[in-house]
Amino acid sequence: MTKRTLILLALLVASIISPLVVVNFTPIDIPRAMRELGRYYVVNTIRDTASPEAVAAVVWDYRGLDTVYETVVLYLAIVGGLAVFRLSKAPSMQVVIGLTVLSRTATKIIILLISSISAAIVLHGHLTPGGGFPGGSALAVTSMLIVPVFSVHSIIERGITSTRLIAIRGLALTALGLVALLPVFRGLELVTNQRFYPARVGFITVSGSISLYNLFEFFAVASGFTAVALYLSIPEEWYKERFSEHGG
Amino acid sequence: MLEKYTYVLVVFVLALNALISIYGIVYRRSLVKKLIALTILSDTVFISIILVGFTLTHPLVPPVYTSMEAPETEFLVKHASDPLPQALVLTGIVIGLAVNALIAFGIIQAYRLSGTTDARKLIKPLVEEVSE
Repeated sequence: MTKRTLILLALLVASIISPLVVVNFTPIDIPRAMRELGRYYVVNTIRDTASPEAVAAVVWDYRGLDTVYETVVLYLAIVGGLAVFRLSKAPSMQVVIGLTVLSRTATKIIILLISSISAAIVLHGHLTPGGGFPGGSALAVTSMLIVPVFSVHSIIERGITSTRLIAIRGLALTALGLVALLPVFRGLELVTNQRFYPARVGFITVSGSISLYNLFEFFAVASGFTAVALYLSIPEEWYKERFSEHGG
Repeated sequence: MLEKYTYVLVVFVLALNALISIYGIVYRRSLVKKLIALTILSDTVFISIILVGFTLTHPLVPPVYTSMEAPETEFLVKHASDPLPQALVLTGIVIGLAVNALIAFGIIQAYRLSGTTDARKLIKPLVEEVSE
């Protein structure tokens, strides 16, 4: 047994035994009631934001400004990543066979399922747990499934290039910014929800701007992470050629 | 008693997890392993934030209204988990994922340019440059 394993084992044993000491000799207790701030959100979420889901209400209404800036961080981080991997043209097409017919057919069915589930996660984001980010990440998983089963070229051949994905992402983020900015022109605060956007359209509860934010965040996240997946799955050899062309 | 023990055990195990991941970030040579340790650390932090919103009730339900009647509000105040830590963690996960993607891009680029992900080998040319 190495020294490191011994230290790890000792730490593990200590962390299992020491709670016994803490529980027996300190007055520590588990919280049994929700804290005041959380209680406010749960009690007032429908009145303030028209959203029956308190987490979505906190994310896009009570703390809406935070989330808008967080989306900016997401945008800049992916821009940074793509700037490191900048491409002036798409990689040359190669004939790649991919996996067997069985796995291709199974993947097609799974992709259909994932797409419909991600749409449900987004469109119900203001009513049930879910929202733009979980839905978008779920959809971005499809590209990570397509790459090993069909090859990256099968995505690019169908016109889903990283340039177009970045364009979709830019448009979605512009729309998201506009949703946040529009109330300002009516003299309201930035990221206002209920005083500007309707709670219902016909008989459907849309919770004002929350469903709009979810939709645009979905497009931004899905296209951003699909672009990242595309960039990461471009073959190593292709980059080496490019480096040698430009002298590193 | 058992509930209290489990609760404190979770706190201790989270602390252990954080300790191991900080060790990984500081002492591992490979940048990929550093990134893996960083993701473990961020997940540990997210679980500790979720733990702040935990309340010991039964049943424990998500803070989501399933009907618009008054008893539903009372039921949720008693049995729902705190929505604020969940919302903060949701935000944190988004930022964490984006930053991890950025770091992964950087590591792959470093590997392509110098053929290694070993932090000590990567820094060697810089050290030599400074000493010259």
